[in-house]
Amino acid sequence: MKFYLRRIGFYAVTLWAAISLNFFIPRLLPGDPFTILMAKLQRSGGIPAGTENTIRLLLGAAEDQTLWEQYVTYWGNLFQGNLGVSVTNFPAPVTELIGDALPWTLGLVGTATIISFVLGIGLGALAGWKRGTWVDSLVPSTTMLQSLPYFWVALVLIFGFAVTLQWFPIIGAYDVFTFNGPEWSWAFVGSVLYHAFLPALTIVISSVGGWLLGMRNMMVSTLSEDYVTTAEAKGLRPRRVFTTYAMRNAALPSLAGFGVSLGFVVAGSLVMEQVFTYPGIGKLMITAVRNNDYALMQGVFLVITLAVLAALFLMDLIYGFLDPRTRHHD
Amino acid sequence: MNRRTTRSRWLTAAAALTSVTLLAAGCSGGGGGDQEGGESGAPAAEGAATDRELVIWAGSQTPITANFNPYAVGVLHLANGGIYETLFAYNKLQDVDPTAMLAESFEWNGDGTELTVTLRSGVEWNDGTPFTADDVVYSFMNDSAKPSYLSEATASDESTVVFSFDAPAFANEFAILGSTYIVPKHVFSEHEKDTGEDAAGAKLEGLVAWANAENPVGTGPYMVDSTSNAAYTAKANPNYWGGEPQVASLRYVGIDANQSAEDLLTTGQIDWSTMFVPEPDRVTSSGAYGYVNTPVDPTVLYTCANVDLGCEGEQTDVAVRQALNVAIDRGAINEKAFVGLAKEISPTFALLGRDDKWIADGMPKESPQTADAAAAATILEDAGYTKDADGFYGKDGKAIDLTLTSVDGWTDYNSAAKLIEEQAKAAGIKVTASTISWNEFADARVSGEFELIMGGVVGTSIADPFQIYREWFTGDFTQKVGTALEPGEWNFSRYDNDDVNAAVQAASETNDEAAKKEAYATVQQHIVEDLPYIPLVVNASQTFFNTKAYAGWPTEEDMYMFPPSWQGPSSGVILGKLGGLE
Repeated sequence: MKFYLRRIGFYAVTLWAAISLNFFIPRLLPGDPFTILMAKLQRSGGIPAGTENTIRLLLGAAEDQTLWEQYVTYWGNLFQGNLGVSVTNFPAPVTELIGDALPWTLGLVGTATIISFVLGIGLGALAGWKRGTWVDSLVPSTTMLQSLPYFWVALVLIFGFAVTLQWFPIIGAYDVFTFNGPEWSWAFVGSVLYHAFLPALTIVISSVGGWLLGMRNMMVSTLSEDYVTTAEAKGLRPRRVFTTYAMRNAALPSLAGFGVSLGFVVAGSLVMEQVFTYPGIGKLMITAVRNNDYALMQGVFLVITLAVLAALFLMDLIYGFLDPRTRHHD
Repeated sequence: MNRRTTRSRWLTAAAALTSVTLLAAGCSGGGGGDQEGGESGAPAAEGAATDRELVIWAGSQTPITANFNPYAVGVLHLANGGIYETLFAYNKLQDVDPTAMLAESFEWNGDGTELTVTLRSGVEWNDGTPFTADDVVYSFMNDSAKPSYLSEATASDESTVVFSFDAPAFANEFAILGSTYIVPKHVFSEHEKDTGEDAAGAKLEGLVAWANAENPVGTGPYMVDSTSNAAYTAKANPNYWGGEPQVASLRYVGIDANQSAEDLLTTGQIDWSTMFVPEPDRVTSSGAYGYVNTPVDPTVLYTCANVDLGCEGEQTDVAVRQALNVAIDRGAINEKAFVGLAKEISPTFALLGRDDKWIADGMPKESPQTADAAAAATILEDAGYTKDADGFYGKDGKAIDLTLTSVDGWTDYNSAAKLIEEQAKAAGIKVTASTISWNEFADARVSGEFELIMGGVVGTSIADPFQIYREWFTGDFTQKVGTALEPGEWNFSRYDNDDVNAAVQAASETNDEAAKKEAYATVQQHIVEDLPYIPLVVNASQTFFNTKAYAGWPTEEDMYMFPPSWQGPSSGVILGKLGGLE
């Protein structure tokens, strides 16, 4: 029990530090939101008379407060579940923006991560099992795919399948030229799946290699363990040795990595969302950072921090449960 | 893909059917609009009525937040011009009279302290309420909009509004008539007490806190139909004063990457878009798209030029700036960095072709297009610089060493800066090109802590370079180095010359062309000599539009309005003129 209490205490301190950093780091960025917003508006077609006053009103109030007062307000608002109003997407509340983006990110990036993991583990196990045969060539080919820059892969796929062949759409999470926003209909669901295919494919292509390589190497070292040799000597069927003896043990380290990467799913995929105009969290983060939109930045970072901490905490607990050594060692 | 083809085929058939029935209505409706607008140039639609949805990209990125309040930050493009209109619409590309929109005529008194505007009659807001002089007064006098130079706006009768000023206000004509959107008093006055929150969670009160997201009430050709995170749609205003628009519905989409927008253009999924496309032929080769290139915004090198206000670095010496000016090969920069799409710039900052009459006698028409290293050497040697062992000019044993920054990711600017580095080196001037983030760029130029920055100048919206002279070159529009410029101040170079200040002041007080020309001659003489901004090129602005399905677009022959899809209020005028061809 003491172990769990200490872990909880540790995570509470980490959480406090992360949330405070969340507040301070955006304010260390060069430039102030006012000038950035003005310069941006000017670049995109001039500033109508009147808007100038507005921006001053909107951003001016913050100048009167000291950093400490802002910090206290920040915590106060946080406890009320109020993350403030986005300046770049004025007047949408940050909670609403994140709420709209989160399902898309979780749905697409989450599914793609799971597919990539399952595929990587399965193929990696196979490559380790049949090492030295043609299956082993999966390793160099997938790691090569992974080493290609993600945006380049995405652009090539778009050019090939969306522009030249026109099999898949170029932008959006659904057909934005037909639907006036999300709705509950089979046509819409179909549209969502159709639009998710290409983005998901790019994520899988660019991440499957890592899982595959790790799994293959673990498999090879597991296969040289004595208990595998014993199992083979006892005359067990190869399939049973493969699944129950080798693969199950080899997959453990990958599972730990998988837990962490699930936590990072919430951060979305910055480049994918940009290239496909996909409405996700990563996209919000880029917008916020580019425009010094403090409220939005804080909100997005908070959600990501919480998700990663929660994933780590969960992994910690599971590991403590699975492996007694981690509990009693200290 | 099949599905889309069938759908468009079906739409074509539907359009053919409806156009027959709508022709009669179109004739009477459009005819009425013509008579009312007639001479004053009200939008008269071309082509036939169509149900084909016009898809527009005006530069919005996702997520889109519904916001149609012209006073709020992040107002969507449709609001400016499509829903809310100005009194007049000025043509940014030609030296012509402004198009009459909600007003029919205007007149200045002799000394420029009073402007009388006669309003169009018979205009209605899209909720059926008549448009009155009170609405115009409200649009100028409410707390959010009232400009500081305006002392009073009054409705002298139902269709006349008189603006009065403390000082001559000729120079503000465009701001009042061409860029202030007229809003309905009966709607907006109810939201003056709206409250919201600002960025820091503090309370915000007034019109600015209101998003105007539900059925915005305007006079423009379109009304909001639906909004979502990804796109918003609009439908034609049946009671539009210029006649019901021929295109029944619009869809503005949000696109995050320029490459996606270009791909959507080449596959024919967007009908109107303004964006940089290095090879426009790739888009136009299908025959479905028209294309115009309308350069208006200059690209220059900002130099922090004024030692008195705290600038540091060798570029504060006018000889160094002059030497750089002749050492630059503008032709090569345009060919290599701007793929040959930019236009020649005039060192007087008058837009060539549009403002030619304002260029004083004896002034060079355009900046040198080829490099002249010998001339640069002469200028530097006359100013006491000598070449060191490395071949770079310097003074007192210290070589000139300048840093030229450009925003990382603006690839045209990055490569132009690299070219300038090489060209300056050939002339014996050491310039190092480096890239900075957008935020650092915005910070450096308003604070004045820089040597050279590759940057833009906002082109004027009317055929007169006055706004650039006042906001970019006078001492009133700058601050000491280290103090951030106020909003509306654009003099990043910290240039402050008494003669220029006085001449700009004189020009602002007169409406007489000869007197203005004389004042401009003084300004030009100084800025061409002093070069606080070293002119490079005038940036391209490329607009693509679907000419197969729609008629009425601005063309090279008839550039009746500035064509970009993001520009208000001109985009509203264009929307009112479009019609279907299928």
